[in-house]
Amino acid sequence: MNTLSYKTPSANSATVDKQWVVIDAAGLTVGRMMSRVASIVRGKHKTNFTPHVDCGDNVIILNAEKISFSGLKMDQKEYVSYSGYPGGQKRVTPKVLMDKNPKKILESALKGMLPKNRLGRALFHNVHIYEGAEHPHEAQKPKTITI
Amino acid sequence: MPRSVNSVASRERRKRIMKQAKGYFGRRKNVWTVAKNAVEKGLTYAYRDRRTKKRNFRALWIQRINAGAREQGMSYSAFMGGVKKSNIELNRKVLADLAMNHPDAFKAVVEQVKSAK
Repeated sequence: MNTLSYKTPSANSATVDKQWVVIDAAGLTVGRMMSRVASIVRGKHKTNFTPHVDCGDNVIILNAEKISFSGLKMDQKEYVSYSGYPGGQKRVTPKVLMDKNPKKILESALKGMLPKNRLGRALFHNVHIYEGAEHPHEAQKPKTITI
Repeated sequence: MPRSVNSVASRERRKRIMKQAKGYFGRRKNVWTVAKNAVEKGLTYAYRDRRTKKRNFRALWIQRINAGAREQGMSYSAFMGGVKKSNIELNRKVLADLAMNHPDAFKAVVEQVKSAK
C-alpha cells in the first residue's frame, strides 16, 4: 500500500485552493454569521486544513448595513475604545455605529473571532465587507453561499 | 614530567555546546554563559515537545476528519461514534489521510457509517 502517505502533509501556498465566496448579510445575526465567516476564512471546512497556513477562502460580505442583533443588543451593547489620553475612553452602541459606519460592527466581530497573531491579522484582510449589494470582485468569479 | 592540564577537554566541551547554539538569537549563539543556559532549556523543550507532537497531530487529524465529515453532512462526533459502532478499525491518522488525499475512499467510509445506523 504505497498509495497512502504515512506522513501528515501541511498545506502550503502551492497546494491551498483559495476560493472566493459571497455572503448576503441582509437579515442575518452578526455573531452567528461572523462565526461561520471566521471558520471559512480560517479554512476549517477544508480537509487539508493547516493551522499555521492561510488556507481559507476569501469572503465578500454584502449589505453590511442590513444586519441585525438578537435581544436588545442594538441599544444596550457597547463598543469600548480608549484613545490613550486621560478621559479618552469612548463607548458607542451598535445603533450609533450603524449610522456612522456599519462595516465597523462586522469588522470588530470578526477580529474577535480570528487568532490574535500575525496569521490572524493577515486573514482579516481576506474578508471584504461592503454596504449595499455591489462589490468590485467580479473578476474573481465568487460563488454565492447562504448561511 | 609534563604538566597535565584540562584545557583541551574543557574547550572540547564548550565547543560541543556552542555548536548546538548555532542559529540562536543575539548573544545566545556566541556567549558561553548565555548559550549554555539556552541550549539546556532548548533540550528540555525538545524533550517535552516530542511528546506534545503526538497530541498536536491527533488534534489536527480530528480537525481534518471533522471537515471531511461535515462535507458529507455529518458531525465529527456522530461520525466517529458510527465508525466505532460499525467496527471500522481505521484510526484517526488514516481517516484524516483518506479525507485529505482520497476523498472517494473517505466518502465510502461515511456511506458505510450512515448505512450501519
